[in-house]
Amino acid sequence: MAELRIEEPSVVAVLASSEVCERLEASGNGTLLRVAPREILIVGGADPTVEGATLAEDVSDAWSSLVLEGPDAPDAFARLSELELPAEGWVQGDVAHAAAKVIVEPGRITILVPAMLAAHVEERIRTDAAEVLAR
Amino acid sequence: MGAFEFEGRSVSFEPGDTLAAALYRHGVRTFSRSLKYHRRRGLYCGTGDCPNCLMTVDGQPAVRTCTTASEDGMRVERSGGWPSAERDLLRVTDSLHRVMPVGFYYKTFIKPRFAWPLAERVIRRATGLGALPDTTAATRKVVRHEHVETLVIGGGIAGLAAAERAAADGSVLVCDEGRLGRGIAPGASLDRVRTLVDAVGGLDAVTVLEEHTALGIYEGLHVPVAADRELVHVHPARIVVATGATESHGIFPGNDLPGVMLGRAAAGLAGVHAVRPGERAVVVAHTDEGLEHLRTLLEAGVRVVAAALPEALADRLPGGDIGEVVLDGDVHEARGGGSLRSVVLRRGDRAKRFDCDLLVLSLGLSPRDGLARMVLPSEPVTVVGDAAAAAEPGPCDRDGVVCLCEDVSTHDLAQAWEEGFRNAEILKRYTTTTMGPCQGAMCGAALSCFAASRSPQVLEEHGTPRTTARPPAPRTTARPPARPTTLETLAAGVHEIVDKRTSLHEVHVEAGARLDRSGGWLRPFAYGDWREEYRAVRERVSPMDVGTLGKFTIAGPDANELVERLFPCRTADLGRGRTRYVLVLDEAGYVMDDGLLARVGDDEWYLTTTSGGAGRTDARLRQFADRLELDAHVLDRTAQWGAINVAGPHARDLIAGLTDDPIDADALPYPGFADVSVAGVPCRAIRTGFVGELAFELHHPRRRGPDLWASILDAGRAWDALPHGLDALELLRLEKGHVYLGQDTMPDDTPAKLGMSWAVDMSKPWFVGKRALERMQALPVSRRLVGLEFAGGPDRVAELRGEPLVLGDAVVGRITSAERSPTLGASIGLGWVRAADGAFPDRFETVPGATASVVPTPFYDADGGRMRG
Amino acid sequence: MSVAIPCGWCGPRPFTEFAFGGEWREVDALDADADFERVYLPDNAEGVQREQWFHAMGCRTWTTVERDTRTNEAS
Repeated sequence: MAELRIEEPSVVAVLASSEVCERLEASGNGTLLRVAPREILIVGGADPTVEGATLAEDVSDAWSSLVLEGPDAPDAFARLSELELPAEGWVQGDVAHAAAKVIVEPGRITILVPAMLAAHVEERIRTDAAEVLAR
Repeated sequence: MGAFEFEGRSVSFEPGDTLAAALYRHGVRTFSRSLKYHRRRGLYCGTGDCPNCLMTVDGQPAVRTCTTASEDGMRVERSGGWPSAERDLLRVTDSLHRVMPVGFYYKTFIKPRFAWPLAERVIRRATGLGALPDTTAATRKVVRHEHVETLVIGGGIAGLAAAERAAADGSVLVCDEGRLGRGIAPGASLDRVRTLVDAVGGLDAVTVLEEHTALGIYEGLHVPVAADRELVHVHPARIVVATGATESHGIFPGNDLPGVMLGRAAAGLAGVHAVRPGERAVVVAHTDEGLEHLRTLLEAGVRVVAAALPEALADRLPGGDIGEVVLDGDVHEARGGGSLRSVVLRRGDRAKRFDCDLLVLSLGLSPRDGLARMVLPSEPVTVVGDAAAAAEPGPCDRDGVVCLCEDVSTHDLAQAWEEGFRNAEILKRYTTTTMGPCQGAMCGAALSCFAASRSPQVLEEHGTPRTTARPPAPRTTARPPARPTTLETLAAGVHEIVDKRTSLHEVHVEAGARLDRSGGWLRPFAYGDWREEYRAVRERVSPMDVGTLGKFTIAGPDANELVERLFPCRTADLGRGRTRYVLVLDEAGYVMDDGLLARVGDDEWYLTTTSGGAGRTDARLRQFADRLELDAHVLDRTAQWGAINVAGPHARDLIAGLTDDPIDADALPYPGFADVSVAGVPCRAIRTGFVGELAFELHHPRRRGPDLWASILDAGRAWDALPHGLDALELLRLEKGHVYLGQDTMPDDTPAKLGMSWAVDMSKPWFVGKRALERMQALPVSRRLVGLEFAGGPDRVAELRGEPLVLGDAVVGRITSAERSPTLGASIGLGWVRAADGAFPDRFETVPGATASVVPTPFYDADGGRMRG
Repeated sequence: MSVAIPCGWCGPRPFTEFAFGGEWREVDALDADADFERVYLPDNAEGVQREQWFHAMGCRTWTTVERDTRTNEAS
C-alpha cells in the first residue's frame, strides 16, 4: 500500500557561478538539489541569502509536492515514469510528462513538479496507481 | 466444466480446454476461411503461430482459439465466409484464382475511373479477419516500467534454464505469451519444464510474467510487454531470447486442407485434451520430437496407417500398431474436397496412396526468430534454444500454399518472379507474403528459400532453381510488433494530453466557464455570452486570466548583452521601468515567438512570451547564453507567477481603488511597468496594448491569485465588470490588428511578411537571424499578412476563417482570422496574400457571394489613444 | 531505456526527455551566403555526427553529443 499527499513545499532557487554552487553544495541546510551546473534548488526552509549569487529567491509558489509514502511507493512511481530511482538521493526527469525533481528517502518518494502541472500528475497517480494507493 | 456459445449452439468444455480443443471435440473441423480465396482451413499449428484458428470471441476479432482458455458464457463465432464460414458462397473466388492472380488488384479496374472505388469496396467486404466491435469501449491499460538486469523472453526449457543461470547476476524477468508448460503433451519435455518451473519459482531474483507478450526489441534496450490489463515497459541491461521454434510448414499440393496438422497440434489434442484428432492418420516424423508425437497418438488410440521417417531414426520408432513404415519418404500430395481424404507418400520415384483423415507433419524446426532479428549486432542480446537453431524449411519448389495468412501459393510467387519481382523483399511487398498475423513465423523461411533458389548465382551454378544444399537464405527485415496488437495497447500511456492549469482554475470552474485546451493549457473561453464580455472590455472594465504567459527573469553580468544579441530590436536604450515589444527570431530569420521585454534593473530584465512559445524561448535564451559564453542566468517564473489583465476604460479607476501606490499616467506610463501592491498582493503591473484599451497586466505570486481575482471582481461591481475569456479576446485583439502566432502566421514568416519590420533594427551589429534577414532583403517580399474587410458571405463571419482568397481562377491567399465587429459595424479579418506579377492585389473573391478588400490595420484605436491613456 | 542521449549534467537519459537542436553549427558565418549554408545545408552524415541536445525535462542545459546515425550510439 502507499499513501499520496499533496504539499506546498518551501523552495529557494539559487542562480550563481559554478564555484559558488559548488561551495553551497558542500554546506547544507535543507535538501540541496544542484539541478544544473549553475542552478541550485534548496527544498525545505532555507534562508534565501547566498553570498556571491546572481539571484537567490524564494520560489515556493512555482512548485508542488506529491508525496508517496509506504512500501508500495516505488511501485506507484513505476507507473508514472521510466526513471530508475536510487535507493536514496534524488533525480530529475520526466514524470507523467512533467519536468520533475524526485527525492527518495526510506519509505518516501517526493515528486516536485511545476505548480501548473500538479493537478495533472495527481490525476495520473490516482488513476494509474489506484490499486496500490490507500483509499 | 462449462459451456460457451458457438454460432448459436451451446458447446460444453472440459476444464483446461482451449476453445479450439472444445470446438474440435464438438466436431468443428472448418475453423476459418482463407483471406482471399475462401478455402476451408482447419486446426494446423496448435501453438498460436498460424492464422487458421482465428475466430471472433466476445466481439473481439482475430482471437487465437488454440491458445485461449475456454470460459463459461463466451460467445465464439468464425469470421470470413458469406453467408457463413461453413457454407461460404464466396469460395467461388478460389475457382477464379486464375483471373484473380496475386497482385491483380494493382492492375485491374483502373479504367473507367469509377470502377476502382467500387471494386475496392467489394474486395474489402469479401476478405478480412472479421469486423471490429463498435459497441466496446477501449479500456485504459495500466502502463508501468520495470528495470531489470536480464529479461528472458520465453518461458520454455531454454528460457527457464537461462533465467536460472542469470539469477546469479541480478534481477531477472521472464515473460511468456502463454502459461508455462501449457499445451505440451505429457512426456519428457513436459517433465523438464515442470522441474525448471519449480527451480525458478524458488529464486527471489526471478519474476515470471505469464500471458505477457513481448511486442518487439527496441533500441536502448527497451521491450514493451503487453498483457490483457497492462503494458509493461521493460528496461533490461541484457536480453535472452528463448522464443523457441514452430514446426516447419510443409509445402505441397493440398497442404492447407483441414485434416493436415503439425505434430504439436495433433499431439496436443490427443495428449493434453484427450481429443482424438482423427481416425486414420498418416504421420511424417523427421525429428525426435515427431517421434514423441507419434507415440502420443498411438497411446491415444489413433489408427496410424502409415509413418514416414528418415532411416536414421528408424531404431527409435515407437512400438505400436503402425500400418506401413516408409523410410526416407516424403509427402507428395494431400487430396480431398473440403477436407483430407488421402495422402500420397513418395520415396524416390515410387509413390503410394493412403486413405486417411489426418496427416501429421513434424518436418523440422522453424525458429521463432522475429524478435532476435530486430536486434543490432552490438546490442547485449543472446538467443538460446530452438530460437537459435538454423531454419530447416522443406523444399520450396513444390506447389502449395506458402503464406497461409495472405493466401499466397508457390505459383503466385513464381508468377510474381516472372513479372520482375526478383528478390525476397520485393516479393514480400508485392504478394504480401509474411505480412499477415503470423508475421512470417510459418512462411518466412520458405519465401527467402524461394528467392534464394532462383537467384542468378544459383541459376548460374546449376542452370535450374535449386532448393537443397544452399546457404541459409537471408530473411526479410523483422519489425515490431512481433505479434498482432490492438490499438488500445499501442495507445497506452502515449500522447497523453497534459493540461497545465493556472491557480484560478477552480475559480473559473465555479463560475461556470467553458474550459478548453489552448497552447497546452486548460483555459476559460467564455463564462456566458462572450459578446457581453467583449462589451465589458470595450465599454467598462474586465479582468482576464493570462497566467499562462511565459515569464522569465534574465539577470547577471552579461544579461544586457544576451538580450541585445537575442532580440532583433535595440534594447540597450530601454530604461528602468520601461517595456518594449520584441520578436524572437530563429536562425533562418523566421518569427518564432513574440513578447514584451521590461528593464527591471541595471542588468536585470523581465521577459513575457506567448503561452505556447515559452518553453522554446527559454531554451533559446539558454542556448545563446552558452554559445556566446555569456554570464547570464534565466529564471523561469511561468509557474511561480500568475497574471491577470485588467482592461477597459475604467481599468485605472478599478485598480486605483485597490492600491495606495501611484498608477497614474506619469507614474506608470505606456509603455512601462511598476511594482505595486494591489489588494495587498505584490504585483508587477505592466501596461499592455493587446486589446486596444487601457489595460494593466498584474503579475503576482501564483498562490495569491484567487484572492486578487476576487478583490478585482468585487471592486469591479461598481462598473458592472465581467471577466472575459479567449472567445472575447479573439475579437478584441483582431480589432486591434494583433496577430496570433500560429493562426495568422506561418513557420516561414519573416518580420517583413508580417509588416513588422519596425520591430527590427538592421543597424545593430549582430542579432540572431540577422544574416538571414540580410540575405532575404535582396529578394522581393513574396507574401504579406494584411487586414481585410468582408462584404457578403455567411451570417457567422467566423466561418470565413481558413477560406481562400481568389483572384480570377487562382487562389492567391487565405483568410486566417475573421469576425463581425459590433463596435466598427463591419466584418473584419486577417489573411495572407501572395504577390502576383510583383504587386499585391487588394480585392478578392472568397466563398461564393462574398468579397474581401485590403484595409489598413489596426481597425480600432488606430492612433493608440485608448491604450496609451 | 529507449535510445539514450548522454546529458552533460544528468548522464544518459531517454531521448524523449530532450529537444533536438540540430547539427552543431557555428553561431555565425562570415557572410550571408556562408550563413545560408550554415543554416540550411547540414552535413546529414551516415555515421557519427555532432549534435546539440537540450535536456528539456531535466536540467534544461544544452549538451553537444556525438551520435552515430546508423546505430544511435551516442557519447
